[in-house]
Amino acid sequence: MSAPRFDLRWRRPATWQVTLAVALLALGFLLAVQFQSQAPRARYSTQERPPLVETALDLSEQQDALKDRIVELRAQIQQLESDVSEDDVAEAALNDELVEARIAAGLVALAGPGVALQFDDAQGPLPPDASASEYRVQAEDLRDLLTALWLSGAEAIAINGERVTVTTAVTDIGGTVLVNSAYLAPPYVLTAIGGPELYDRLVASDVLRTLLEARVQPFGLELSAGPLDQVDVPAYSGSIRLIETRPAATPTPPAPGSTP
Amino acid sequence: MRSRSGQLALAALALALGFLVVVQLRTQAGAGGLEDLSAGDLTTLIANLNTRNQQLAAEESGLRTRLGELRATGTQHERLVASIRDELSKVRRWAGLDPVQGRGVRITIQGPIRANGVNDLVNELRAAGAEAIAIEDVRLTEAEVVADLPDGLGVENRSLDPPFTIWAIGNPQVLTASLTRVGGIIGRIQVSQPEVSIAVAPQDLVELPATRRPMGPRSGQPRL
Repeated sequence: MSAPRFDLRWRRPATWQVTLAVALLALGFLLAVQFQSQAPRARYSTQERPPLVETALDLSEQQDALKDRIVELRAQIQQLESDVSEDDVAEAALNDELVEARIAAGLVALAGPGVALQFDDAQGPLPPDASASEYRVQAEDLRDLLTALWLSGAEAIAINGERVTVTTAVTDIGGTVLVNSAYLAPPYVLTAIGGPELYDRLVASDVLRTLLEARVQPFGLELSAGPLDQVDVPAYSGSIRLIETRPAATPTPPAPGSTP
Repeated sequence: MRSRSGQLALAALALALGFLVVVQLRTQAGAGGLEDLSAGDLTTLIANLNTRNQQLAAEESGLRTRLGELRATGTQHERLVASIRDELSKVRRWAGLDPVQGRGVRITIQGPIRANGVNDLVNELRAAGAEAIAIEDVRLTEAEVVADLPDGLGVENRSLDPPFTIWAIGNPQVLTASLTRVGGIIGRIQVSQPEVSIAVAPQDLVELPATRRPMGPRSGQPRL
């Protein structure tokens, strides 16, 4: 198998027959591996799946490029607005208000103390009669984790780099999870900014305990978390769609307690 | 003669081996979990990505137009102020910082629903394109979630005793259809909690207050 394998000056038939046999063996092995790795992917339709996967990957790449451009354009606009308004006190004050609103809206990246978490599917072979989806991290599990974090005092959260905003939905699509406009795959890495009490409150939270008892422990999902001095939460890179929403007829906010 | 055919055979084999190795490696390279999806799930995913990429493309082109306008504005202060005011109003409406109104739906919930049922309903409204949501008089931002308390439900220090109402602004038909479809969120809640009843009614006018949460992060530093 060493040097003589591809040394074609070697004329003795026996040797190249051996070489051929070894190569055929390797070929057979690779073919077997290839078919085996394709077998579970062919559950539904052998013909149409690979092109569908290609299409989804292409769309996902397009989306990443679009989001990069959106973040870049927003930064340029913000820079230009503050440059042109800085000479006028009233304009500068208005612009400060806009910057403040953008920070509150999640359109600006934040850094600060907080918690980092990793949430992954169960590893290793499943029990024979198991339903595979139960051993995966589902959208509902991620939503429970978000709920636990918000109730523990988190100020800003991102999942795999997708900022959680006022319009963010977390939904299942098969084995993947859709957050904002991106589909995400495990492991899910969450970063949450919050005060020094965030981690302790999270660990003590009822919502987290229920998640651990009902999902993580029985199905072997892998959830880890730790407090950090500095975590990053990126800016929202999606669209701001207000098609139906107009300013309220009364320009001043109604008093607390009024019914909509 | 034999050696020549041997060489050819070996060359062909080497080619086939190389091809298979590459195919194998490509197969195992991460397709982001996509290889586990059924054709139906993939089709749904592609439809979703298509719609959302169109929205992102519209956002991107809107931002390019705005950047161009800002550059053209130069030192015309009136136009600059108007432009910043428009943008401020839009961001504040979107983020829940200003009271808003528009078409939408009213969702009335009766019976002992659990907190995650209400949170799932809100998630479904967002997935269906709701632009602004409130539970009773509490405008929801991302951070306002419903909690199970010892004596019932609560949201932002307000207790929620059924019956209570969720209000959402968005296309009434789309929101209603998404919530009430067969196998949808309301169907699922009513299977697991048959004593809960949820009614959805399209509305011509929904008025929502601003959030009462203090504005802006306390611990996080903006990276401008």
